[in-house]
Order: sequence, then C-alpha cells, then structure tokens
Amino acid sequence: MTIFPEGGEPFFFPGGRTGCLLIHGFTGAPNEMRLLGEHLAACGFSVLGIRLSGHGTDMTDLLRAREQDWVASVEDGYHLLRGCTDHIVVLGLSMGGVLALHAGACLPVDGVVAMSAPYRTPHPLIQHMRPALPLLSLFWRYAKKSDSDLVDEAARETHVDYEAHPLRAVAELEDLVREMQASLPDVRIPVLLIHSRGDTTVPSDHVGLITNALGSKDIETVWLQSSGHVITRDVEQDRVFKACERFIHRVLEKAS
Amino acid sequence: MTYQVEQAEPYLFPGSKTGCLMVHGFTGAPNEVRPLGEHLASLGYTVLGVRLAGHGTTMQDLIRMREQDWIASVDDGYNLLQGLCDRIYILGLSLGGALTLHAASRLKVAGIVAMSAPYETPDKTISSLRPLLPLLSQVWRYRPKRKPRVPGPSGMLLNYPAMPIRSFAETDDMIQLMRASLSKVNVPALIIHSKADRSVPVDHAPRIFDELGSTEKDILILEKNGHVVTRGPGQEDVFKACEDFIQRIEGRGV
Repeated sequence: MTIFPEGGEPFFFPGGRTGCLLIHGFTGAPNEMRLLGEHLAACGFSVLGIRLSGHGTDMTDLLRAREQDWVASVEDGYHLLRGCTDHIVVLGLSMGGVLALHAGACLPVDGVVAMSAPYRTPHPLIQHMRPALPLLSLFWRYAKKSDSDLVDEAARETHVDYEAHPLRAVAELEDLVREMQASLPDVRIPVLLIHSRGDTTVPSDHVGLITNALGSKDIETVWLQSSGHVITRDVEQDRVFKACERFIHRVLEKAS
Repeated sequence: MTYQVEQAEPYLFPGSKTGCLMVHGFTGAPNEVRPLGEHLASLGYTVLGVRLAGHGTTMQDLIRMREQDWIASVDDGYNLLQGLCDRIYILGLSLGGALTLHAASRLKVAGIVAMSAPYETPDKTISSLRPLLPLLSQVWRYRPKRKPRVPGPSGMLLNYPAMPIRSFAETDDMIQLMRASLSKVNVPALIIHSKADRSVPVDHAPRIFDELGSTEKDILILEKNGHVVTRGPGQEDVFKACEDFIQRIEGRGV
C-alpha cells in the first residue's frame, strides 16, 4: 500500500523519444491528468504525470507546501522524463498551467500547453491580502471551495481533490502566479492555450492577458464552450486531447 | 535556471522490466547513490533515483518537511517505476535505508538493500529530546555537520552543510516507524554496513538484521567505507554486493 489514496499517485507510461510532462492543479491530484495522459500514450508519446508536493495525500500536507516545492516537483518530473526522451512538451491544468508556462521559461522544453491557466489569482481580495495571509492562516486555515463547475456528472463524482483551499497555500499560489507573470516574456517556444468560456473558476479573459505577456511568436488558442474549469475531464475532453496531440506533432515538426 | 541544485537532480536510466529504486539519505542528494545506480543500469536494469522532499535545493526547505513527505517521495518513485517495470528492487542509504525497509513492509517489491541504516537515532540526546524538538528548533535551528570523514571526489558531495534540528524529530519518528515494520518485511533483504561508519555505528546492522521478518536475508560488513558506503573507498565492494544480490534473485526466474 502506497501512502496515496486512489488517484493521488503519479504515473508513467513509457513510449517514444518524445515526452509529455503532465501537471495537475491546485488542491487537485494526478488523476485529473490521467485520461489525457492515456490518450497521449496511445499516440506513442512517453507520458509522466507528476504529483505536486503536498497534493494527493492529506490536505494538512498542503499547509506546509511552498511555491518552490511545486517548482521542484515539476523539475523532478522533467529530469526523470529527460532520462528516456529527446523532446519534452509540458502540459498543465490551472495552477499546473501556471507551472507549465513557468517551466517554458526556465527549462529546455519544446512546447507548453496551458489549460484553464490564470494570469493572476481570480480573487482580487487575495491579491490585496497577500501580506496578511501567513498570519491570517494561523486562525483561518481553510477557505471553503465553491461547488465544482464540472459539467460532466460522472467526472464530478469520481474527481479526486481536497475539499478546501488551505489559506497558507493560497498565498503561495499568489506568489507563483506573480513569478509566472514575470517569466512570460522569456517563454519563446510554441504555446497552446485551451480555455472554456464556461470556466467559472478562472474567467476566460485571462487567456488574452497571458497571450499579450508571452514572448512566444507561436501562440495557438483553442476555445471550449460548455466545459467547466477541469477541461481534461469534462464534456469536451476529447477536443482537448486532440488539440494537445496535434500541437505536439506540430511542435515536433518544427523542432526537427 | 532551475531551482534544484545542479547535479543534485533525480535521474532515470531506462532498461529492462526489472527496476531499481534508489533512495538517498538525510541532508544528502540523489547523486549519493547515483554511481551505484549507473552500475546497475550498465547491467541492463532500469534505475530511478528519487529526490526526497526538501533535499537537493536549500536547507530551509528541509525544515518544513515531515516524515510522510519522504515516504511520499519514495512512493512517487515507486509508482513511476511501476509504469516501466514488472519487478522492483529498492536500495537505500542511511535514512534512505530506513525508508526502504519501511517501504518493503507495505509495497510489492522483489528485494531490498539497506545500507548504513540506523536501528535507532544514533545520538541519544536527540531521541531523548524528541518531544521538545519542534519548540527547541524555533531557537536552535541547525546543527553543523562534522567534516565528512571519507570525502567523495571533490565537488561531488552536494549534501547540506548542517542538519535542521526540526528534522531530527522527523528522522526519529521515521526510524521508529521503520523499527515497528521490520517484522513485516518478508522479501529478500541485504543489509550493508561499514565498521568505519562514524554516523551510524556498525552494531545497528545486526539489530536490524535480527528483527527482519525475511527468511532470505544477508548481511555484509565492510571495513574501510565511510557512512556513505556508495561513495569513496570500498564503493566497488558495495556495487558488486548489490549486483550479486539482485542477479541471484533474478536468476531464479519469475
């Protein structure tokens, strides 16, 4: 028995010399990237789905996590995947998208797919309260989550995530997002942004904000209409899978 | 620019469907057991060296880590290696050895090697102070290390220069957890320890050995290696012993 509840464990599907590094979102788990990973593995790519530090175990573990731990988790996955591939594309959902964009500026990767990624923390209140959060979180440990906006009911029932947002970790998310903003001009590789107009967690206007700040010339955007925030497990997931697959093939052609 | 210290990163050497999971020690880094991993990879095995949470970056990160984070790091590596292999061996050094023994009581593995593993916290002061450590560590944050008695090739030791006091509470808990799980280990096991080990005295090895539930177990006592038996004088003996141990089990077929 591993320490992880079902869905919390990272995964590795061996394949060809092109690797896909999959990064889940804040308070989420590797499970939310698994179907996408299975699709990409079926396309012949090597796929590694990481577990971000403090995730996939117990919510109290997330209280201690800092943004650098998440960056280090991404680097762990990168180094392991590098051991069996020549090209790597990083794909992330929500905060995983933030980390993927950040990786696009810091690591020698070939492409980035950012799904439902925020340009800044969606709640202005969080931004203003950032300096007070570490102290505040000693008394107010968890912020309630709003109801999932997953449209697919079966997916909603099997979704693996923590039931609340540890406030201390929200401060780290805010810092990470700012760090990503600063690194966007240094991202010069092809980028695919996928976002749903039905996303109630991260409004769709964040796509334009990210696009404007990116240093890349090659930016592709795919819009979904009916999905919620977790687009890798929602009603249009097949469109997401296909878009990722096409993008990776295009990036590879460009790279070779 | 990466966050992790260069050369302290985790690694993967792809190979056969038999995998070796390498676990480094407390305040160490994946590179400690990397030459051993490279040796096993040269024999055709798939090798994955994990980075334990809080290691290979800055010492401040280690202070926040708890024993369950290290267990999760091992399990991360195990889950990933499972994607590549049918059979998995775990090899760990020092705290990594304790994590290996604990993992063997919970996970499906083909065999384990525990090197320089502690049976109890070697420093009695630390274990008697255990309940006070979280508070004490607020004022006394680090204990500097003695100079490594047996240095590896220059510039290649990427371990932290000191030990966070807060983390001693976690290593103490981890070792106790390991001790309670020893009788539940029932896979082939190899215990390796050196008489010249100044961090964990060599008599810890037979104490672990005696409590192991495994029917197939071996103990190798070395003469000249330091605590980090996988680096420096005598490392070849360790490589050979690990090689022979795994080849012997693999030779039987599945």
